[in-house]
Amino acid sequence: MPDWSRTTLELIVQELQHPVRIDESFDRRVMVRVRRAYAERRPRGVAGWLGAAANLTRRPAYAAALAAGIVAVATVGILRSRPAHVIGAEPIPVQFVLVAPEARSVAVVGDFNNWGLGDTALAAVNHNGVWSVSAPVRAGVHRYAFLVNGKQYVADPTAPRSSGDDFGMPSSALVVEGSNQ
Amino acid sequence: MLLVGSAFGAVEAQDPRIGSRLDAPTRKAISALVDSARAQGIPVEPLMEKVYQGLAVGADGPRIVVAVRSLTTELGSAHRALGAVASTDEIKAAASAMHAGVPVVELGKMKKQSGLRRSLTLPFTVLADIVSRGVPVQTAANAIRSLVGAGARDTDISTFQRNVQVDIEKGAQPAAAAETRAKGAVPAPAPAKTDKNDKEQE
Repeated sequence: MPDWSRTTLELIVQELQHPVRIDESFDRRVMVRVRRAYAERRPRGVAGWLGAAANLTRRPAYAAALAAGIVAVATVGILRSRPAHVIGAEPIPVQFVLVAPEARSVAVVGDFNNWGLGDTALAAVNHNGVWSVSAPVRAGVHRYAFLVNGKQYVADPTAPRSSGDDFGMPSSALVVEGSNQ
Repeated sequence: MLLVGSAFGAVEAQDPRIGSRLDAPTRKAISALVDSARAQGIPVEPLMEKVYQGLAVGADGPRIVVAVRSLTTELGSAHRALGAVASTDEIKAAASAMHAGVPVVELGKMKKQSGLRRSLTLPFTVLADIVSRGVPVQTAANAIRSLVGAGARDTDISTFQRNVQVDIEKGAQPAAAAETRAKGAVPAPAPAKTDKNDKEQE
């Protein structure tokens, strides 16, 4: 019985080893589109680029270049705007971290979870005094605070302060970038 | 009214006790404020968030109503100053800056100078932050305006905020920290790029 997996693999490798002739302007055209998509950072631009890319002949090298381009655009977008406080048109995971070695419990409450009403507070996990929790947060400007030991509200010392402390609750501001920003 | 109902309904579905935490007069007053805000085109979601926050800390009804009324006023002023082009997030951030003490006129000027495409959500958020840390309002506004005017990206302005925060925590005078960091935060101008170059590249 033939070793089909090996044979298939060899065929794929063989195919990939064939020299693929790429149009000399290919790299330049890809980079122009990447720069545009990156500059505009709008779904329409990226979608337009992807739509145009779909018209390329489906060859291994093109597919690899296309995949690399997609990864590059996605990575650049994340690295560029992730500095301190987040990104993305859709809800994306945001990590909240508080160093509190003496705390018995830490949770995150904010306007994205109705300030913990109805048991919606996000319980953080303790890593030797470094408490953290990740949660998807939609694009926009948000206010939040840490709830320590179930009774004390603490602002995030690493984030911008929020000025609306009407109830004596210190809080922080979180800006999650959307596609229109 | 519909939003208040649906918003409360959503929370009550998770915790039936929440509905009973607001007395009838409080509920009525908040409904009136929300209706009024909606009629003026003011975003009402931040008002509900304020209600939830008040409930979470155990504030009594009158205190929640005062906070919501105050926020309604700030959102309304911000909405009028920024104009119809402003996003809900920009209005929220502007209201927060106003709460910190930034005059609404200053925010309106920034929006006009920044153009339509530039979101000022983060700049307004940072402005509120550094004012709350003791940077004089005019100094803070000048710093943010110069950054935005020079084409600073949100990442640059975030870095500016962190630097000012660290400087102040290390004992720097807030005004000096903001002025100095603003000078260093302006990015170098990008090389001139023309449409002709773009076309040639294609």
